[in-house]
Amino acid sequence: MSNRGVRNLFVFGSLFFFVIFIALTVDTMKKIDKRAPEITEEVDQGKKLWHKYDCIGCHTILGNGSYFAPDLTKITVNKPEGYLEKFLVHPRKVKPSAAMPELGITPDEAKKIVAFLDWTSKVDTNGWPPKPVLAAYRMPQIPGVTVYQKYNCSACHMIGGIGGTSGPDLTHVASRKPDIEWHKRHIRDPQSVVPSSAMPPFPQISDEELNQLADYLITLK
Amino acid sequence: MKYESQKIAQHFYTFAILLFFVQVLVGLIAALQFIWPDFFLLKFNVIRDLHINALVVWLLLGMMGATYFVVPEESQSELWSIPLAKFQFWATVVAITAVILGYIWMGFDPQANKYIFGTLLLNEGREYIEAPRWADWLIALSVILFLFNNFMTMYKSKRWTGIQGTLLGGLTFLTLMYLPGMFYTKSMVKDQFWWWWVVHLWVEGSWEIIAGALLAFMLMKVTNAPRHVLERWMYIEVALVLFTGILGTGHHYYWIGTPKYWLWVGGIFSSLEPIPLLLMVWDAFRTTRKHRVISNRLGLFYATSHAIFNFVGAGLWGVIHTLPQVNKWTHGTQITTAHGHLAFYGAYVLLVISMIYITLPLIRGVTEFNTSRGYRSFWWMTISMVFIVLSLTGAGMVQTYMERLVGLDYVTVKANYNLWFWALRAIFGLGFVYGVFLFVLDFFKLGREPVEAAAPANVSETTA
Repeated sequence: MSNRGVRNLFVFGSLFFFVIFIALTVDTMKKIDKRAPEITEEVDQGKKLWHKYDCIGCHTILGNGSYFAPDLTKITVNKPEGYLEKFLVHPRKVKPSAAMPELGITPDEAKKIVAFLDWTSKVDTNGWPPKPVLAAYRMPQIPGVTVYQKYNCSACHMIGGIGGTSGPDLTHVASRKPDIEWHKRHIRDPQSVVPSSAMPPFPQISDEELNQLADYLITLK
Repeated sequence: MKYESQKIAQHFYTFAILLFFVQVLVGLIAALQFIWPDFFLLKFNVIRDLHINALVVWLLLGMMGATYFVVPEESQSELWSIPLAKFQFWATVVAITAVILGYIWMGFDPQANKYIFGTLLLNEGREYIEAPRWADWLIALSVILFLFNNFMTMYKSKRWTGIQGTLLGGLTFLTLMYLPGMFYTKSMVKDQFWWWWVVHLWVEGSWEIIAGALLAFMLMKVTNAPRHVLERWMYIEVALVLFTGILGTGHHYYWIGTPKYWLWVGGIFSSLEPIPLLLMVWDAFRTTRKHRVISNRLGLFYATSHAIFNFVGAGLWGVIHTLPQVNKWTHGTQITTAHGHLAFYGAYVLLVISMIYITLPLIRGVTEFNTSRGYRSFWWMTISMVFIVLSLTGAGMVQTYMERLVGLDYVTVKANYNLWFWALRAIFGLGFVYGVFLFVLDFFKLGREPVEAAAPANVSETTA
């Protein structure tokens, strides 16, 4: 083929693929909004704050970003209500080991950012991030563990290396807090015993469940 | 050097490599912040913004400089306007410096990044295109002036060579693809959709076209290979880059809230993306073998390395995680970081450095120069980069397993299981900084120090 021929192949071939790409883009634009909840004014303001504080400079969202701090796509599903609002305002008061700096986020701004993150968590992402397939850590089959799992305590707390890092590690919690009554009060209303705590209260937990959970916690020495 | 206007290339090269040095210095700080988040006055986000923006800008400036060298040579005439080129250079320097100072200001006072007339003053908070909107316009204006000057040069000379036509096409495409990043969307999904138009169609589209044109030019310069053969292969390469790369954008549309058909489109086309890159490697070796009259061995050495690492970094390290079945687990992990580092190094860092080594001696009017430092710099940079990438790949594999498959917490994996990978990355990062330092030194000394008798073009020194 002559050079003119390959040049034409390059120019018109590329245009051909670009036209297909534009057609797919048009189709995608029509479908995107149906794959996510409605964008309220609060969500939009939250997104603007997301940009203002350059959150993507450390975090990823929908898997894209900086890989330095946790992905936030499903963060509102994984953290209890109220926790993120507190964390965003004073990250290191809520979690002393946090790498996140104090950015001067106000409580009102935090609420909007959480609304935006909550919107993102509901986007249909074709099943991403995938659920872990090997999460088979064997915890003792006792009632307290069932309660622990029912209230998703491992979203924030860790026992034996498994679980989140937002709250204190509970692997040896009984060595620090051996008093069973302290645990019961703390679970029902954390701020009544630890005023700076960002853990939400659990008034919905039944007395029986509370006893079972506290019995389990004081075995963790 | 035949034309006075080609000297303008040196201005661009100088600012480019100074930014390169800044880029790797802040890169080292970022690497240490993975171990100690509070290390340094500025937080990680600002350091990373500086790291990736300096990268994009210095490569762009390097390519602009290279273009100012190539176009007069190909048109066989002076540039249409040298004062315009100089103005464009200084305007770009001022705009970039203002953006950098803005990032640093924001680092000390996050609240300074205010909304003014609906856009952010200092930082748009969108990866790679953090530059605020006012700077976007200045950058676009600079690129348009640059394009116009080069277009007029070609237009006046009426010598439309394949190389400069392709170069102009690539640069026009680059300018157009900056625009999808310049509007606000309420939906984060649409935000990322258009953002990838800019990011992907730059690095896997327009930049690869520019790379193809510059590679053809360099091979022609140093091996004296006939133009029609080089241009034919160039067309085939850039055609395949776009045939695979445009729809290959789909590999970014798997998990961001876009329809499922992108899994097919992205999976198929992005799997083919390494093919043109392999063709470029073959092209470089074939041309060198056939035409043994090599006028600038160091330049050719860098150009060939560019072709190889473009294929390895952008091609192979990309294809390992491009299928949706794999990407579902690796998306958003350090595997991507590893790919990003080697791809940028191979595809563009080595490209711009090879253009500098091939054109700078001509600009400075020297036929021989000491090559020893150039080779040493290559080995320090390349060996360090390979190990940085292996460390990050290791970290990514551990992260994929521990976090995605076992379900451990992100912070646990980062702080405990990957700690030693961060340490390795920082150590090799220091090696990389030293390699870049050697290169910067060489840039300023090239042709300005006495030539040692045995030094020029002595391949045995490559192991020094």
